[in-house]
Amino acid sequence: MDTTRRRERTQIQAHVSFGAWLSSPLFLSYLRRFVLLWIAGKLANAATASVIGISPFSFRAGTELVILLFELGALIAFIKRDNEDILLGNVGLRLSVALAPLVFVHLALSAALAMVAR
Amino acid sequence: MNAPILAGDSITLALGGRTILASAYADAVPGAITALVGRSGSGKTTFFKILVGERVADGGQVRWRGAPLTRPRLPVLAREGLFYHPDRAWLARHLSFNDHMALCPRDGWADVVEVFGIGGWTGRRVGTLSEGELRLTELSFGFALQPVVAVLDEPFRGLEPLHREQVGRGLRELADRGAAILYADHDVESVRRTADRLFSMENGMSRIVDGFKTRPLHEWYHAWPH
Repeated sequence: MDTTRRRERTQIQAHVSFGAWLSSPLFLSYLRRFVLLWIAGKLANAATASVIGISPFSFRAGTELVILLFELGALIAFIKRDNEDILLGNVGLRLSVALAPLVFVHLALSAALAMVAR
Repeated sequence: MNAPILAGDSITLALGGRTILASAYADAVPGAITALVGRSGSGKTTFFKILVGERVADGGQVRWRGAPLTRPRLPVLAREGLFYHPDRAWLARHLSFNDHMALCPRDGWADVVEVFGIGGWTGRRVGTLSEGELRLTELSFGFALQPVVAVLDEPFRGLEPLHREQVGRGLRELADRGAAILYADHDVESVRRTADRLFSMENGMSRIVDGFKTRPLHEWYHAWPH
């Protein structure tokens, strides 16, 4: 590998690490929005559950998946509207990878709520 | 001349029955500023979108270091050293330049703030910046990523003379560090001052222009056979 290639290899490795992404102000801003979307999704779900007479905050896999898709869909719509997918792309992050940690956030929040509400 | 790092070859695209690109070619070579010049609607932006995977071509090839890419994707190319500046604002409006720097490599340029003269507003939210300040901030961030190739769609658009000079200086600095720069513009006088190589695009077709710094404008600009 010649000097130029070695220099370029160093540059390639210099792109944002996953740890740096998780602690970045941009990810934290997405996390805040996501939590608000989670609250909205949970409230809508609780209202629907009350109408049909089932426990409003219990953890049901199918329902959680629907809410999660709504949350991610809304967040992606916001990101694309503001062209921030270009920003993520420029630092080498696919949308799916950048937002993957939010799946665990959703599961953790929903599981915690179900336990508290039991 | 170095071999191109990024090239779009014989790119074609038709939308709604209208030909947007008809065998367009342009490339970016290390250490040089290459301009793609053409009127609004000539296909420059579409060509750039195809290079970075924002749009899929009907035909032709995008090549990275000589190898054809089946499907170019910005995050993948960015990890290989590409920086893309589209023709629309793309930084997070609710964050400042300093906030964005958390996404840059730790050994990124310490001097982009100085090169682009953005020191006065690095702590302000991007959404509060003027168009010129925003453009400089976007380019500063991109150059702090230390790109090997920069694809810039109209980086001078809407800038006042001082900011134009700062952007021109930044492009030269990046090229001097060995990066390949490909940018679009329709201001031919600016291109004459800034670029080392030139492709001219008209009606979705492109050609390389020799002697553009010295030859009279009418000999090469918009002198396409129709």
